[in-house]
Amino acid sequence: MGRTPKKALQSPPKSNPVSPLDPKPSHSSAVSIPPTPETLAPRRSSRRINFGSNQNTPLRSPDHVKEIVIDAVKTPKSAKNGGRSKRGAEKGSVEGSFSPVSPDLREPKKRKKANEKTTVKTGSRVSRNVRFKKKIKNADAPKRRRVYYKKVVYDGGEFEVGDDVYVKRRENASSDDEDPEVEECRVCFKSGKALMIECDDCLGGFHLKCIKPPMKEVPEGDWICGLCDARKTGKKVELPAPPKGKKRIRTAREKLLSSDLWAAHIESIWKELDGSYWFRGCWYIIPEETAAGRQLHNLKRELYRTNDFADIEMESVLRHCYAMKPKEFSKADTEGDDVFLCEYEYDIRWHSFKRLAEIDNEEDDREADTDEDWNSCEDPGSDTEEYLEHEVKNVKGLPAGPSPAHELPANSRKGRIFGLQKIGTKKIPEHVRCHKQTALERAKTTLLLATLPKSMPGRNKEMEEITAFIKGAVCEDQCLGRCLYIHGVPGTGKTMSVLAVMRNLRSEVDAGGIKPYCFIETNGLKLASPENIYRVIYEALSGHRVSWKKAFHLLNERFSDGNKVGKEDNQPCILLIDELDLLVTRNQSVLYNILDWPTKPNSKLVVIGIANTMDLPEKLLPRISSRMGIQRLCFGPYNYQQLQEIISSRLKGIDAFEKQAIEFASRKVAAISGDARRALEICRRAAELKDYRIKRSSSLPNSASAGKATVGMAEVEAAIQEMFQAPHIQIMKSCSKLSQIFLVAMVHELYKTGMGETTFEKLAITVSCLCASNGEAFPGWDTLLRIGCKLGECRIILCEAGGRHRLQKLQLNFPSDDVAFALKDNKELPWLAKYL
Amino acid sequence: MEGENQAEKALILIRSRICNPSYIFTPFSDSPESNYSKLKFIISNSVTEACNNSILLLGPRGCGKIAVLNLVLRDLLAEHPDMVSVIRLNGLLHSDDNCALKEIARQLCVEHQLLFSKMASFDDNSQFMISMLRECGLAHKTIIFVLDEFDLFAQGKQRLLYSLLDAMQSITSQAVVIGVSCRLDADQLLEKRVRSRFSHRKLLFLPPSKEELQRLLEHILSLPIDSSFSHDYAMEFNAKLHKIVGDCRFTEIVDTLSGSDSTVNHLLKFLFRAVCCMDLDFGFLTLENFKTAILSIQRQPKLECLQDCSVLELYILVCMKRLEDKEQNSYNFNSVMKEYKGIHDSYQTSDYYARNVCLRAFEHLLQRELICFTDNRGQSQSVEFRPVKLLISSHELYPGLKSNRSCPLAY
Repeated sequence: MGRTPKKALQSPPKSNPVSPLDPKPSHSSAVSIPPTPETLAPRRSSRRINFGSNQNTPLRSPDHVKEIVIDAVKTPKSAKNGGRSKRGAEKGSVEGSFSPVSPDLREPKKRKKANEKTTVKTGSRVSRNVRFKKKIKNADAPKRRRVYYKKVVYDGGEFEVGDDVYVKRRENASSDDEDPEVEECRVCFKSGKALMIECDDCLGGFHLKCIKPPMKEVPEGDWICGLCDARKTGKKVELPAPPKGKKRIRTAREKLLSSDLWAAHIESIWKELDGSYWFRGCWYIIPEETAAGRQLHNLKRELYRTNDFADIEMESVLRHCYAMKPKEFSKADTEGDDVFLCEYEYDIRWHSFKRLAEIDNEEDDREADTDEDWNSCEDPGSDTEEYLEHEVKNVKGLPAGPSPAHELPANSRKGRIFGLQKIGTKKIPEHVRCHKQTALERAKTTLLLATLPKSMPGRNKEMEEITAFIKGAVCEDQCLGRCLYIHGVPGTGKTMSVLAVMRNLRSEVDAGGIKPYCFIETNGLKLASPENIYRVIYEALSGHRVSWKKAFHLLNERFSDGNKVGKEDNQPCILLIDELDLLVTRNQSVLYNILDWPTKPNSKLVVIGIANTMDLPEKLLPRISSRMGIQRLCFGPYNYQQLQEIISSRLKGIDAFEKQAIEFASRKVAAISGDARRALEICRRAAELKDYRIKRSSSLPNSASAGKATVGMAEVEAAIQEMFQAPHIQIMKSCSKLSQIFLVAMVHELYKTGMGETTFEKLAITVSCLCASNGEAFPGWDTLLRIGCKLGECRIILCEAGGRHRLQKLQLNFPSDDVAFALKDNKELPWLAKYL
Repeated sequence: MEGENQAEKALILIRSRICNPSYIFTPFSDSPESNYSKLKFIISNSVTEACNNSILLLGPRGCGKIAVLNLVLRDLLAEHPDMVSVIRLNGLLHSDDNCALKEIARQLCVEHQLLFSKMASFDDNSQFMISMLRECGLAHKTIIFVLDEFDLFAQGKQRLLYSLLDAMQSITSQAVVIGVSCRLDADQLLEKRVRSRFSHRKLLFLPPSKEELQRLLEHILSLPIDSSFSHDYAMEFNAKLHKIVGDCRFTEIVDTLSGSDSTVNHLLKFLFRAVCCMDLDFGFLTLENFKTAILSIQRQPKLECLQDCSVLELYILVCMKRLEDKEQNSYNFNSVMKEYKGIHDSYQTSDYYARNVCLRAFEHLLQRELICFTDNRGQSQSVEFRPVKLLISSHELYPGLKSNRSCPLAY
């Protein structure tokens, strides 16, 4: 199975006469997005009309186009230096049609310009004539393909992949003609340079001096204009009428929010065969257009991203707008009028909402992209490559594509999962948006283990060492395989440090500091069996799923014999194996094979193994320990200062914890395990306890509020108790009378004989003695046996199966002092103390 | 006729109450110190604030761990419809990692109306679970994993727990893992790396105290005044009940009951028996009902076993006991037969049975588990030669012999 795609990759693409160069044969197919099941928004389909065909709206001349190819992402290799492939002649014509603007030659210069951020608006380089000519040429060579760009300067605006833009909705709408970049004041109806303030309710702009009473500077927090204020109190308000002869001009933002304009997110930009510029856009939608309608918590400037895509001609683009994540949005105070909040994705098929993924996921995507960049730049067979990539893109882009996705089983599609688009809330829950977090709640969120810390205090030395190791392995021209073994007790930041180092290095790769490499992360405990690691590695390298034997064979070929598997042939490969000790099999072959590869001359493999035990290499066969044990790095348990720093660095800016409380928690944890996770959990639990207390007391009307909302020693103490103390003493205190007698008899027996272990027969006799001498009714042997088994179930005592009856062996599971402590002052049975 | 009808209705009502754990545990759920409100606070925190948590519910069997959890989950599902999905696993069924992951995938598929494939491998299922966790987190949906008999999941490599708890360390996931176990040392069973990822919330379920028991009794047994029951009947029923509960003989009964086992479950079993004894013609609960119930619930199975034994079987038991008194620790059928012959020769109390008859009696005793083989070795040996042990102590044997009517008096 794995062989076929490999061959396809290696074979020269030219041999294919009908090469799948054009990913989308025509517009119509690209546009053929399946109709939504319930066409709640039927007008959406009208968006898909071909704007380009409409020549009536030369608002701006499309001819004033200037292109900049920066980081020719999707630019096929052949376009860059056509001479190398057989299709040179054809390439030449392509370049001819590009005429003066040959991307290859101009690139360095243009990049510089782009860096200087000078928006050059040069004359018509690509004039209509050229376009015309090109059309003819297209007829000659219909196989020519689109050229993809990352950044395009179109009619004075610089558009990049990933930007958001306004898109015109109607072709002839006169209201689209004027495009005021600056909003007018609602009072004086002039724009001007004076500082304006925005009402948080009606989004109208006001000059500071026009407000009554005038303001000097923009106030902190929300501000609501006098008109809205009055409207809220129920008064009738007359909006100030505009001066005669002057129509109130609506800004693009207002038009968008009243759905007279559209907004889209640019996914990719390309030049069509006829020279027109197109982009693939992902629509934004305003809350009113969703199935749920505008919800109470929706902000005025809120948009939803949809999973509805369309190809749009650049001509219909109005200008930039900015859809921001909540974090950026909250900071964007002075960015202008075209700022929107976009937190959710809206599924047009299922009418459901989903949060947009957080930033670190985006980073992953970006990494994938950059990988592709390098590949397409270096690989001679890039034609097929690109085709494949587009395939992938299409799949990614159209999760709700024409394939009846929901009919496939969700959990087994060879690594791809279907039907996930079904998951999503029909309505965004109110509590998520409207809830103002208290300091305690914020503290709880930052103390979550899942929250990625911004910095890692106390691990600088180790991180430097890892960085040096990886750089040393990767940067040299001759990448020699190496192996690093990292050990340390759980919760000391081993995996996190390695991942942080890899993140830093990735940004260095992006900056061009180091050669690109591929990074594979596996976890021994997440594999079904140790052998499966071959499969995982092979899949990460090539993207194909094969059986582990086959994968082992192929990997062996790659690493030992130097045969190349996939596209990333020349790259060094860094393999991170978490929980390495799980890979130890009986004959230890898996570990041996993996650690043997780095020693091979051409492998370019770097292995980083992480495990808890310090002496893992020594426990293994000598041939393995000699390969693994050379370079080691120890992550010692955190001491209390480090733990304190970790906690307080997370809690920076939140006034929820007393300083001693943090110190207490960190000292306690440092004394026991030095596990940072444990320290964080204790603090979080303490905050939770405090929060619980406050919320409880506030729900009761008669009690006064529970003082200051900071976590003190008492809460931390309670959290530590809960976490570290076994609950057996409480159970002993509250268990039934006979169970208590039973336990006391066990202790008594232990004192008498000095042996830890006793049999049920002896114990029953002791119990009957105790009962007889203290006036308690002896319950009978069978009841006693049942009681013993119940105690054994809770593991207060250890006992054999009850079927052994009088031969059953019994043993206390806790020290006898605990029993004495728990039962000493028992009110019901005061005589118990005699025997303890 | 009317009265009987009323009594029948009352019986049905009380029985259905006893069988409904959520009814039993509602009176305990109000106070802030109750496990209900603590558990609800932790879980609803996870739902509303996207905190990942892992909780252990510990306590002896029959204290209502699962019942309280179900109450909390029911209320949460009502409060946040469509936002909480519950995955239930049981250690007795799914302690194998592979099968547990498959079950998780299946339940997730059912919950979200996706198609499930039985053929999926371990990797597929674990990937599916992780991506489901992510997607549900993005959609503000919480997945609650309930692991009953948690201690059985903490065996072997603990792959399932590791991958669950590790998946919860990513910011996008929103999940709660609730382990339910009667073993108090359940968290000590976790491997170090798993324990480090566990967030160690612990809730302890204790058997009810005396006052709570009293409250519970009246909560279960008293009839509602304003309902389909006639007012007079309900009043009279409650008055009679009140009188019974106040009676010191009744408190004695409850004390003996809770003296041996004070869990809620035990009490419910007792009450069910008592209620079933209720005389429909009379129409009200009496103290007699409770007395019969306590007798039927405090059985002594070993003694009852002895009462059913034949004389020959008793002889054999007595012989074995005599051997043990002679401090002969290891004996088999042959040595028992020798002793039997000795007794018979000296006392002549009853007929002498042939050896094969004795062997039948001996085998019968083995089946009733009054005696057993000392070890499992030598199973190929025939019964006569394997060493055996008496499973009943002399202290039990004596009253047992006394209570057996067919037993000859002297020995």
